[in-house]
Order: sequence, then C-alpha cells, then structure tokens
Amino acid sequence: MTELYIAATASSPEIDFRFSERHLSIKGEAYPENAALFWGEIITAVRDFLTSDNSESSITVDVSLAYFNSSSTKMLFSLFDALNEKAAAGTPVVLNWFHDEDDDTIYEFGQELCEDFTDLSFHDHALQG
Amino acid sequence: MTTNVLINPKNRSLHWRILCDCVGDRDVIFYYEGYFSQAIIAAVADAVKLRTEYVGATNSTRRKLFSSFIEMTQNIIHYSVDAYAQQDAADFDHEIRHGSICISTEADHFYLHCANPVHNDVARQLRQKLDHLRTLTIDEIKREYKEMLRADTAQESKGAGLGLLTVARDASAPLEFEFLPIADSDNVLFYLKATI
Repeated sequence: MTELYIAATASSPEIDFRFSERHLSIKGEAYPENAALFWGEIITAVRDFLTSDNSESSITVDVSLAYFNSSSTKMLFSLFDALNEKAAAGTPVVLNWFHDEDDDTIYEFGQELCEDFTDLSFHDHALQG
Repeated sequence: MTTNVLINPKNRSLHWRILCDCVGDRDVIFYYEGYFSQAIIAAVADAVKLRTEYVGATNSTRRKLFSSFIEMTQNIIHYSVDAYAQQDAADFDHEIRHGSICISTEADHFYLHCANPVHNDVARQLRQKLDHLRTLTIDEIKREYKEMLRADTAQESKGAGLGLLTVARDASAPLEFEFLPIADSDNVLFYLKATI
C-alpha cells in the first residue's frame, strides 16, 4: 500500500496518511475551490486501504483543522463514514479531533461526528490558543 | 437599500457606489472589487485575517468573518455570470469571475457585503432560499444545517448546498439581500449582507 502525502497550500491542508503505520493525519485549513475533487481522491485512497486491509489492529486518525469551508464539511463526513464502517466491522478506529478551545464551530462539528459515527473511538482535544 | 440606478455594463464603479450606499457611515476595513480566482481568494484571505486582527475583533468574531468571507467569495467564483473567459465544466478548477466584497464595522458589529451578477433563474432560486432562511431562528438554522449535512447533495450545487446556511449560522441577524436589474440583460446584480 503506497502512503499518501499532500503538502499544505494556503487553501488546502497537509494530508499525511501513513497506511503502513496505520496513522492518518490531516492538518491545516481547508477551502479548496473544488472540494469534491480534492477530498474525493483522498477518500478513494482511504477506501482502497480499508478494503485491502486485513489487520485488526487499530487505526489512528489525527484531525487538526483550523478552518474548513462548507463544501469540505460534507466531504469530511464521507471520510469519517468510511472509517466508521471499518470500525463497525471490527477494526478499532481512534479519531483525535483537535481544535482551539474557543472554537465552537469545530468543536460542535466534532460532536456531530461523535453522534453519527458511534463506532469510532472519538476523542475531543481542546487546545489553548 | 435606496439605490434605484438602472445598472448597465458600462456603468463604472457601480459596485463601489452600491456598497457605499449600503455601508453608510460605518468604517470600511476591507474592500475588493474585481476578478476572483481561488489564488486571489487565498491571498485576500490573508489580508482579511490581518485586518480583522488589527481592528481588535475577538477570536470568535474573526473566525465567523473569515468563514463568511470564504463562502461569499467562493460563491462569486462559482456563480457570478461575469466570467473572465468562457469556461466549460472541465475547467471548474480554474474559474475566474467578477464580483466585490466589503467588510465594514460599527460599534462592535461587523458587516460583510458582497455583490455579483447572476442569471435571473439563479436569482429566483437564491431568493427562495434566502427568503426561507430569513424566517428561521438560529436553532432552526442549526437544525437545517445538520439535516443538509446528512442529505444527498443537489445536482446544481457546486458546493454542498451548505454555503448560505453556513453564512446564516455565523450571522447574528437575518441575512439581507437585494436583486438589482441590469439594463438590457437577463442578469441581475445580486447583493448579500451578513451581520456578524
């Protein structure tokens, strides 16, 4: 399985998916012009990994997004949907959700994820500005 | 809005005059009119962050301003009918379209104004959505946002159908809007205002 690395730009986050280490990281700001295209490729890579993966050892996902636009919001939902399916099938998936302590929008979005994707082991991390 | 000018394409500085009319005596802290591309938005976004920090907006207000700024400007590059060149669907990633955006402030409140021309058909859809949003309380807006997040995306949307809901969610008052006729054209100038 090839790893997936996409460097950050002003309007897209760093994607560092080390499938061999079972560690996925998303970091930065996300307002790509075409969110369906940007996230679509990432979701496809993750789905390919999840389908081919036979190990039941846990997968860790660290998400540290300072901002994401409305169209990225929906794509993030699809990404976590895929991970939740994997968790439901028996592979533990830990989601570390990082945000500034006073960022209610990102905190609340994390709560939505937690509510919908009950098989993920969700951890909220409020960071001091 | 008191503007009654009949807009035509040769009507120079039109956005500026309309926004001056809407802004009134408030302090303008940011204004840009011209072609918007993704690269321009990213650069201008930096200026907006610096400017809102400089004028002392709180973290929470700055985030809401930034979020609304991105939604509004990306709407311009997706929906303004004033495109720099005729684009086809394959060029969706490199759209360049004309519009304007302004941030003004008065007594701890911030106001985002944007304007761009749209087709009459799009105007009708926008009016329907915005009229509906104006009837909702903040709790109802949040509920609708959550429903839309889980719904299938409408075909005509280049985003996720969440853009205006996101702006409405971050606003502290109902969104205000106007469609101004453009002479000899099937287009109208769409003006939107959000109070943060």
